[in-house]
Amino acid sequence: MRNDLELDAIIEDYLLGKLNPQETEAFEQLRRKDAAVDHKVVSHKVFLHTMEEYAQQLLLKEQLEQIHSEIDVDGLVAEVAPHPSRIVQLWRKHKSAIAVAASFIILSLVSIYSIQHNSQQTDRYVQLSNQVTNALKTQNSLIRKINTNNNAVPNKAGNPGRYGGTGFAISTNGYILTNLHVINGADSIYVQNSKGESFKVKAVYTDAQYDMAILKVSDKNFSYLSSLPYTIKRGGSSIGENVYTLGYSKDDAVLGEGYVSSKNGFIGDTTQYQVAIPVNPGNSGGPLLDNNGNLVGIISGKPDQTEGAAFAIKSKFILEAMSAIPQDSLGKKLVTNKKSLLSGLKRTQQIERLQDYVFMIKVY
Amino acid sequence: MVNKDLKSSVPTDREFILGILNNSADTLNKLYKAHFAMILQFILNNNGDEDDAKDVYQEAIIILHNKVKEGDFELSSKLKTYIYSVCRRIWLKKLSLNSRKSGNITDYEDVFVVEDDIERHEERDAAFVKMQSALEHLGEPCKTIIQDFYIHSLSMQDICEKFGYTNTDNAKTQKYKCLQRLKKIFFQH
Repeated sequence: MRNDLELDAIIEDYLLGKLNPQETEAFEQLRRKDAAVDHKVVSHKVFLHTMEEYAQQLLLKEQLEQIHSEIDVDGLVAEVAPHPSRIVQLWRKHKSAIAVAASFIILSLVSIYSIQHNSQQTDRYVQLSNQVTNALKTQNSLIRKINTNNNAVPNKAGNPGRYGGTGFAISTNGYILTNLHVINGADSIYVQNSKGESFKVKAVYTDAQYDMAILKVSDKNFSYLSSLPYTIKRGGSSIGENVYTLGYSKDDAVLGEGYVSSKNGFIGDTTQYQVAIPVNPGNSGGPLLDNNGNLVGIISGKPDQTEGAAFAIKSKFILEAMSAIPQDSLGKKLVTNKKSLLSGLKRTQQIERLQDYVFMIKVY
Repeated sequence: MVNKDLKSSVPTDREFILGILNNSADTLNKLYKAHFAMILQFILNNNGDEDDAKDVYQEAIIILHNKVKEGDFELSSKLKTYIYSVCRRIWLKKLSLNSRKSGNITDYEDVFVVEDDIERHEERDAAFVKMQSALEHLGEPCKTIIQDFYIHSLSMQDICEKFGYTNTDNAKTQKYKCLQRLKKIFFQH
């Protein structure tokens, strides 16, 4: 027992390097000779190593305990504990993602703003040209609007017509002039006079360039009209000349009065007048007459942005359209530069005589 | 003033590692305090309490400490990420051991694989526990003598005075007797 203790002491001193060179030499010899001693050395080495590590870990743990006691854990718990509100929880979880997203959005906004800022001038030019094309489109779409709006109006009145416009007789035997866009794409066309009688008609001539169409009444019940009260004006009209139109912007004929406001129509269109007459959808194809009962044009559209103005195709193009119809078939037709029957009459009398020659066009 | 500010600011990851290698208590202190809140939040939000957080976090710090000391810690990621990954792994293990629900872990940081480090720590920890229980079994005064000599590095002279032995040889003999018993317990278990 005593020897064992001494051996242990020597082994430990040996392992810790406390022996002097001679002692070390002597001990290593003993170790080589005696396997039991060698085993003791190895196991003591393992033990000492474990003890050393144990000591280190223990000290480290004590150190950490010490540090931990300096932390205000309760305060931290209150700060980071799961919040009852889901929104706060979400915010805590995705704080960084939200921050990234937000900075990305801000960056995008800034760059978009700076790009816009840089190209502002060119933008303005584009806008101007846009306005021109817009205006162009607006007129076209307005015509369509006229079509579609007319759709609604007759439907309300229990009229099965899809849409409609206005037309007027250019001969006594049933030739009626209107706008092409009124009847475009129609399956069947009917005209209705001021007495409410409907007659089936068919298109015999269309002119896409001047937006005109000539219809012929094909209904047997149609009785010939008496001679046309208006004549056609060959020359142009001056600005300021008083004009009026009769049109079916609703189920009854509506009078619109005004004056020629420009010799040219939509963006300088020389085939049209601009007239200051409030028109509505359904007025398309209506006759435009001066005080003396001369036909000066056909209402065909209106500018979108100007209220109370309309465009009318000049009367000389009516003549051109009429010349396309075999002259013999027209019978007693519209004539030019003859004193009209309406001349010198009061407006009310003019309308009374006129209304039998102005028709509502109903398209199906 | 400037120096003081620099000192009180949080050191970089590299400074932390150098500090650990140099046994700097100050660095360990700062490292510990720098990331505890993160782990506390993680544990609290995943069915644990602040004591769990403390245990898990201290384990992770010890793992990091040992790894750095052994010299095989490569700073390939942020220290914070490493600590978080270790804690997460430890906590997942504890959850599954206690068969508490662990279906959905709410993550707060990136994670990377730390299985090897944790396995190594577990071996080391087993040895630690073994030594601890051996010491417990040893009983007084042997336990204190051994602890004073091997852990608190007291000299035999100090131990001799502390325990009232007549001379250091007696103290030494006593120490070796204790050591023999301890080794017996330790290697038997």
